[in-house]
Amino acid sequence: MAIVSLRNSASSLLLFSRRLFSPELKAQCLYHIKVVDHYENPRNVGTLDKNSKNVGTGLVGAPACGDVMKLQIEVDDHGMIIDAKFKTFGCGSAIASSSLATEWVKGKSVEEALKIRNTDIAKELCLPPVKLHCSMLAEDAIKAALSDYRIKQQDKKEKRVQATG
Amino acid sequence: MLSYNSLRIVRPFRALLHPNWLMTNRQTLTCSAHCVSNNFPKKDTWQRQNNLKPTGNERKLQYSTYAASSPRNYCTGQFNLNCWNCKQPLDQTPAFFCMTCKAVQPPEEDTSLFNIMDCDYKFSMDTRKLQKRYLHLQRSLHPDNFSQKSVQEQEYSESYSALVNKAYHTLLKPLSRGLYMLELKGMVIEEGTDSGADPEFLMELMEINEALDEVKTPEEANKIGQHTKGKLAVLTEEIDAALLKGELQSAKALLAQMKYFANIEEKVKEKLSEFM
Repeated sequence: MAIVSLRNSASSLLLFSRRLFSPELKAQCLYHIKVVDHYENPRNVGTLDKNSKNVGTGLVGAPACGDVMKLQIEVDDHGMIIDAKFKTFGCGSAIASSSLATEWVKGKSVEEALKIRNTDIAKELCLPPVKLHCSMLAEDAIKAALSDYRIKQQDKKEKRVQATG
Repeated sequence: MLSYNSLRIVRPFRALLHPNWLMTNRQTLTCSAHCVSNNFPKKDTWQRQNNLKPTGNERKLQYSTYAASSPRNYCTGQFNLNCWNCKQPLDQTPAFFCMTCKAVQPPEEDTSLFNIMDCDYKFSMDTRKLQKRYLHLQRSLHPDNFSQKSVQEQEYSESYSALVNKAYHTLLKPLSRGLYMLELKGMVIEEGTDSGADPEFLMELMEINEALDEVKTPEEANKIGQHTKGKLAVLTEEIDAALLKGELQSAKALLAQMKYFANIEEKVKEKLSEFM
């Protein structure tokens, strides 16, 4: 008797909870499939030699969420980006944004890479408004890497001038 | 119906945990019932009722139903609020219960979380006192205590209980407490890139994160955890000093640093649980 009543109450509890929680499951917000793809199979994860003159390193952080992102580019003598690597410690959107950013900068010239906007990244990954700042982080990482590369190149030129002069 | 009954089994257990529970509950119940029947109680009725009440132990029991029984809560704030139920003025801020009819009050929206937890507006905090206060408040405000009360009271207890939860969890951790203190001053850490961040600091964070990513033993993870804890302790002291001096901008910069280390601390915990 006791077991029967226990089972009855258990099943009614189950019904009760299912009815209560099913709308919540439907309303759950999921990442877009593109974000999940980049998160699970991130492209170009790794490190380039930061001391090389042809490598520009961009390091950025987002204080509100505590994410850190490193994006590196390797540029050949014609100003073309031949390789790009990243490492991101943060949420899925930040990882996906930086992964996509490395894909996009590869094969572009330094000038073209400067034109990549966070809105393009956000659009491609269908980021929700609350995650737009992740794409901003990726854009800033590209810019930081490009400016690091430029500073290195200027130093190189100055040294050359000094050597010939 | 059965599930409802099984839920109700919880009640006697609560009574066991709290020896005064049944007594106090019955008392509040009769009082609120009285109040409902006399929406505008005449003064003499109430005096009569007060006269009927024996002093001594009874009074003590009655006090235990009040969340805010510490003398500090009888501060001389604005007393322009009235009880929603009996319309008597409330003589406390924040008022959890009406002193007259014992009805639970709706939370005021602009009450500071420090006020709710009866804490000074300070960054350094006695977390044990905070926890005690939290348990004390939840014991009287938890919706479980109101299942026999009016729908209105059930709603108010729910929202008050949720607010107490929020207050406790916000003030418990130094990071969220500091951010909340800045928020009260109208400051937030903006989303987006930390343009003023020191590249060396970011490099350090990157290296710690990379090292943590590659740990193979719990000992290695613990070592990073200890290092992070040390960093957080130093930052806590620095934030305390900055806030005491009123240097909000430097407190904000330090809190931003703290967020990065708090994230690393979380990841260390995740790593350690992977090893288990």
